Amino acid sequence: MPKNHHPLTPHLTIYKWPLTAVLSITHRLTGVFLIAGVFVFFTVLVALASGEAVFLSVQHFLNQGPAQIVLAGFAFALSFHLVHGLRHLLWDLGLGFEFSKLRAYALWELLVISVLTGVALVLI
Amino acid sequence: MVEFTLPKNSKVKKGLTLKAPGDILKCQVIHIYRFEPEETQNPRLDRYEIDLDQCGAKVLDAIIKIKDELDPTLTFRRSCREGVCGSCAMNINGKNTLACMVPLSDYPEDITIYPLPHLKVIKDLVVDMVPFYQQYASIKPWLQQSDPGSQSDDNRDIDRDSQEQQQSIAERERLDGVYECVMCACCSASCPSYWWNGDRYLGPAVLLQAYRWLVDSRDDQKDQRLDALDDAFKLYRCHTIMNCTETCPKGLNPAKAIAEIKKMIAKR
Repeated sequence: MPKNHHPLTPHLTIYKWPLTAVLSITHRLTGVFLIAGVFVFFTVLVALASGEAVFLSVQHFLNQGPAQIVLAGFAFALSFHLVHGLRHLLWDLGLGFEFSKLRAYALWELLVISVLTGVALVLI
Repeated sequence: MVEFTLPKNSKVKKGLTLKAPGDILKCQVIHIYRFEPEETQNPRLDRYEIDLDQCGAKVLDAIIKIKDELDPTLTFRRSCREGVCGSCAMNINGKNTLACMVPLSDYPEDITIYPLPHLKVIKDLVVDMVPFYQQYASIKPWLQQSDPGSQSDDNRDIDRDSQEQQQSIAERERLDGVYECVMCACCSASCPSYWWNGDRYLGPAVLLQAYRWLVDSRDDQKDQRLDALDDAFKLYRCHTIMNCTETCPKGLNPAKAIAEIKKMIAKR
């Protein structure tokens, strides 16, 4: 058997993710989710504009459990992407990089995201 | 390229257990990643049990003790044992750091040590740093000044080599928090963006060094340096994940330096 040449050292599976890294990957995932959501959103809009029968069936569908979960996910994704997007804008200005405050900033973000998501859930 | 799982030849297997001889009063379990390049086997995770009462204070002391007393084949880099050489960078309980800087008392439970993440292993904890150093060389990490002959009307350039080049206190202060980097690669090896695109993205350590020369008042090649960095991969694969700043054993802030480079390019 040939020798085992230069294996790759473990990475994702052994690295302990700081909270900032969790927020970063969530930002990306919510971004993808929102893009997918835009297509769903426009499909629903078109359906609503197609007359009363379609309107009622879409309304019925959206009141079902699974659709409600997706809507809640949409509310969270929108809140998250908005708040962390603003954080990115501040970073682009060179602000908010202090090591001692990174965790506190991240926790503030999560608080604002929770409030926004809560408000959105009440509205839908 | 993003690859979440390890290649087949890199999967870590269960390894051996070795205990310090005699009665162990204060037992510390340390798992260490092992890879033997002369064999066909996959890397493995060995388990060592040592007596903390018979060991120095830092994680590096424990590793040296294991090599001295339990397994002389254990291989790792170390030199200064005081955080200025950057040799003993490794992943300890999920975080990249210098083994000589962290006390064993920081870890109340078992300690697990891997080499720096997502790099090629040469043996045990020794990884191939050559691509990293090549990237470092690519940013021309030395003082660059235009040829004095080409700026004949600029008196400042006359006899530059023979004269002291002074900096104001403010100019010198811009290098604080930047020049202290020891190039241990803890930050670059903590960056998921560097894991997936390390062949083209320069990574936080090298970009911090690029910044170090950009803000040096004696260097007059700022534009050329920025031209070289203005690249979708070299610089802009930084997505402000912040693992670099979170992990730097010297308490530096590569993420901030990268943001400042992006600002310099945006302002041009």
